[in-house]
Amino acid sequence: MENRIKEFRTKLGLTQEELAKSAGVRRETIVFLEQGKYNPSLQLAFDVAKVLHKTVDELFG
Amino acid sequence: MTAKQFKFAQIISAFVIAIAASQSVATNNFLLLVIVVAVAAPILFWVRSQVKEVMADERDYAIGGIAARWAIQVYSFAAVIGMVALYSQRSINPFYEAIASTLAYSTCFLMILYTLIFRYHQRLKFLADKTAYAAVGILLIIVLIIAGIRLFSGEDDWICQGGQWIKHGNPSFPAPQVECRK
Repeated sequence: MENRIKEFRTKLGLTQEELAKSAGVRRETIVFLEQGKYNPSLQLAFDVAKVLHKTVDELFG
Repeated sequence: MTAKQFKFAQIISAFVIAIAASQSVATNNFLLLVIVVAVAAPILFWVRSQVKEVMADERDYAIGGIAARWAIQVYSFAAVIGMVALYSQRSINPFYEAIASTLAYSTCFLMILYTLIFRYHQRLKFLADKTAYAAVGILLIIVLIIAGIRLFSGEDDWICQGGQWIKHGNPSFPAPQVECRK
């Protein structure tokens, strides 16, 4: 699934590790998410969006 | 503690348990294995509780589900083929029948267990009625009791008497290879 997680993460100056820790997942999951190789659950999508101060629609829309 | 250190602790525990298991079999002292497992399990649980980072997330659980399903399917398929092959060759070596029976029973048990757990998570988990949980628990206990009675009842077994292995009932496997000392 195409998304803008990497773009918003780098804008905030967060590393993948930091984003993963804040969202409660492993770093590999963030890697796969950013590459569009993993479709997250609604809960994880909301968690990532919250950490990046964006809406789910902005991230995945 | 980091996840890496925990994995290292897991590997060390596995080595220690494997050594204890081999020693137990070699010396016929299974108390050693029980003690080692009884000590190792709480230590591992404690070490696990000290890990602050995320060990597994939703992606791991999803992959784990797929891997478990594949593992069950591959094992069941291989076990059935092995069972048929061994049963057909039991005239060559009587031990083949015992191995085939083990494969057959373990496959059935695995499939029943998988079905029960799957059904539990598919439907019963969402029910507010606690009797459904109790029903699954009771069913599982009944299955285990039946399996236990069948396996440990002593019917159709070899009995050690007067320094010789004597048939009791009609065991489907040959007499044990260990020396009979009663």
